[in-house]
Amino acid sequence: MTTTDAPPMLLEDTPLGKGAGGLYRRQNALTGLVGGVFLGFIGWVVSHRLLQGSNWGSDMVVTVTMVGWVLGFNIGMGTFNAPIRWMLGHDQSYEDELYAAGVTQGKSRYWKFCTDHKVVGTQYLILVMVLFGVGGTLAMMMRTQLITPHSSFLSANSYNAIVSIHGMVMIIATIIMVTGPFTNFIMPIMIGAKDMAFPRLNAMSFWVVVSAVPPLLATFFLGGVDAGWTTYAPLSVQAPAAMDAFSMTMIVFVISVTISGINTIVTILTMRAKGMTLGRMPIFTWASMVGAALSVYAMPALLITFTAMITDRVTGTSFFVAAQGGTGWLWENAFWIFGHPEVYIILIPPVGAMLEVASTFARKPLFGYKVTIAAFTAVAGLSVMVWAHHMFTTGWAPDLAGPFMVTTELISIPTGIIFLCIIGTIWRGSIWTRLPMFFVYLFLWDFIIGGVTGIYLSDVPADNFFHGDMFVTAHFHYTLLGGAMIAAVAGLCYWFPKISGKMLNERIGKTAFWIIAIAIQITYFGQFWEGFQGMPRRVAFYDPIFLHANQMTTVGAYFLMLGFLVLLYCLIDGWRHGKPAPANPWHAKSLEWKVPTPVPLVNFLVDPVVTTDPYGYGEPEPDNLSTDFPDPDRELVPTLSSDRPVTGGEVL
Amino acid sequence: MEESGSDPLPVVKPFFSRAGGKIFIIWLVMTIIGVLIGAYAPHHLLPTLLSTEGTKVWETIVLFTILAAPVAAFVYAVGLYSLLGWRARGFGNSDEPPPDGPSLRGDAPMTAVWLGVSAVLVIVLLVWGLGEYNAAQTSHPDTLQVDVTGQQWLWTFSYPGAGNVETRSLVLPINRPVQFNVTSEDVTHGFWPAALGVQVDANPNVVTVIGSTPDKLGTFTVRCSQLCGLYHSFMYASGAVVTPQKFAAWLQTQGVPAPQAAQAADVKASTS
Repeated sequence: MTTTDAPPMLLEDTPLGKGAGGLYRRQNALTGLVGGVFLGFIGWVVSHRLLQGSNWGSDMVVTVTMVGWVLGFNIGMGTFNAPIRWMLGHDQSYEDELYAAGVTQGKSRYWKFCTDHKVVGTQYLILVMVLFGVGGTLAMMMRTQLITPHSSFLSANSYNAIVSIHGMVMIIATIIMVTGPFTNFIMPIMIGAKDMAFPRLNAMSFWVVVSAVPPLLATFFLGGVDAGWTTYAPLSVQAPAAMDAFSMTMIVFVISVTISGINTIVTILTMRAKGMTLGRMPIFTWASMVGAALSVYAMPALLITFTAMITDRVTGTSFFVAAQGGTGWLWENAFWIFGHPEVYIILIPPVGAMLEVASTFARKPLFGYKVTIAAFTAVAGLSVMVWAHHMFTTGWAPDLAGPFMVTTELISIPTGIIFLCIIGTIWRGSIWTRLPMFFVYLFLWDFIIGGVTGIYLSDVPADNFFHGDMFVTAHFHYTLLGGAMIAAVAGLCYWFPKISGKMLNERIGKTAFWIIAIAIQITYFGQFWEGFQGMPRRVAFYDPIFLHANQMTTVGAYFLMLGFLVLLYCLIDGWRHGKPAPANPWHAKSLEWKVPTPVPLVNFLVDPVVTTDPYGYGEPEPDNLSTDFPDPDRELVPTLSSDRPVTGGEVL
Repeated sequence: MEESGSDPLPVVKPFFSRAGGKIFIIWLVMTIIGVLIGAYAPHHLLPTLLSTEGTKVWETIVLFTILAAPVAAFVYAVGLYSLLGWRARGFGNSDEPPPDGPSLRGDAPMTAVWLGVSAVLVIVLLVWGLGEYNAAQTSHPDTLQVDVTGQQWLWTFSYPGAGNVETRSLVLPINRPVQFNVTSEDVTHGFWPAALGVQVDANPNVVTVIGSTPDKLGTFTVRCSQLCGLYHSFMYASGAVVTPQKFAAWLQTQGVPAPQAAQAADVKASTS
């Protein structure tokens, strides 16, 4: 990144020449949209002409159209500008880079291909909220359908389509809910870096995932994906053309997550400030790195499976078609080889964020820092060996049921260590009950329930009863919503002042908290009840014996939506009318609180030198930084970074 | 409980202070509640389980809940006590943080105990689970064979011992092991007679096997546990566990000649 050689002034004020930015000057989300629609249309016309009357016609047309849309959107956005210029033999100039980083563009940079990690983080935050809005609305439609046993609110086909897209929208949203906003915005500042290691890849990962969303929503107009978010073959091979758009979404999403994961790992390993040894990194940084490593491992499996799905559907291969020698078990294995590490890709980064919150608001050092890192690593390592516990009842490899039961139950040991870390951190702390801390307690409550019910499902004989029923649904909503998402909300409330520069109204936030906390219990205890009674998942109509449990769930779900709407109001209200936030509202010790709010373009006006880890609460050292570091709330003093006197601290 | 209060550098106290006693009481109460829930709730929530496998599911749920209760209760007790005893009062809306807590960066004995306890619990779970799983794998000589075929969106049952008679409902004699040989004609289905406590997927071109031993009379429903397309919700069949005599009579109503039906139904009677 060229900004490391910044001139001795705030880069935001750098006057740029008229030609700075080149093509970037003319590109924004609108040109992306136009480019996407244009190329998508070209793809549609050409493939439609060529393939009229062929067997695979409509599938090929949808696939080509979606490829056209994704390429066109990213060309229009400017994703490929720099690589193409580089291939043509002239690289971006320094001014072009500054323009791409959003200098002198005000708010419009949020609609552009902007390489500043803080802009990318904010863009991700908005995208995640939009996706949660879509997924939540779909959930409300399902719960409304299920309020009576034979409701006519939705048709069977719409219900199946909504089940699938609710699942996948939420999976996409939860995978990026922490690695998008917080790993991009906060993590580089935490380790003392001036940006991510690959700022253009960072911007690319965002706009690529944006281009994956319209194909996902287009599935509703292409017949609907009726095979659930897991899209088990052979049902999904027979599904309408929506399945092609769905596969395209997944392929594009995998590309985004993989490059973002590589970017995170390289940033953490190479961009740390002086003295920021691996043993002094904030735990959230470790969690981000473990999550990113896991996504680099797991995501390619999904890429391969969905590519094979497209070739099965479009070109007549038969990986998953039993009648032609394929097998659905291949799909199930490949999907879960991605799918089980995936839940830890979702879970580990938010837990890391939540541990930061717990330490700050208990005013105590993190309990068992190194043991927790070991636990994260152990969870990640074991998680690649447990995938077939999703397949206990499929009949595949019965002899492996025992070994997979062993690996699955072993995961509860490192997971237990994470609980020890949380309760050790709050043990005898002086608990500061501000809004973020509330969500830490809710995580503790929910994730224990999610974890314990997971143990039932890891036991093969018990799973023979529970598999495929609402008990499973309740279990993973307790872990992913009650656990991961609530931990992410703790992180959001914690870092909101740094991201937005405003404080939240905690009275509204705490109202939202109580509604959400109680509604989660009503909703998912209702689903446990359905599960115990034996109600299958993904049914639009059900036996009246399940009526009361379903009504309980639906009422809880409405309150849950209400709670999240109040939380959304709290965020919007805070963003628009909140009190201006000081640089360090929580008096925390990690580096992101040592830089001014709003964070300047290069983050650090003086390069930090780190001398301890950021958890020195109740310890003699007043601070973890060398003493010449400027007070972030004072007026900004432009300084040459090379003037920095080196004091204290170990060199890596 | 002492507030770490005004002392800027509080001395680290022994790990178990007087708070320990109160946390123990909260833990004990919560554990008892958890154990009672574990012992009584599953019985009321589960459907009437008609087989030995179903009984084992029920036992497993009870055992796991009772084992989990003290662990969950410990986390909850510390969490609850931290709000009652350690909360910095008056700082809920304050912009200034309360004084720092003690610098407790870890505790090797506590971590070792925690690891040891969770390892022991996991071993107990594994021994129990693997034991039950292996018990379920043993085969019996007089097993009743039932072929199950799923297709969009209905189940077909066939009794090879009774001239392959095909039926739409699943009727089983009591106290006789039954083996389901499950397959599908189109997509993947999930053969799930919930009250028998077992299930296995129906895959095209493959026969998957699951066994169960009905030990109570009653009726149940066979549902599909794997999303299989448009009318997945309506893919169910009725089932019943009956006496061998009634089973023979039912086979006759399905068109099996009387001697063959009696022979197919009476294997159990002759061995017991």
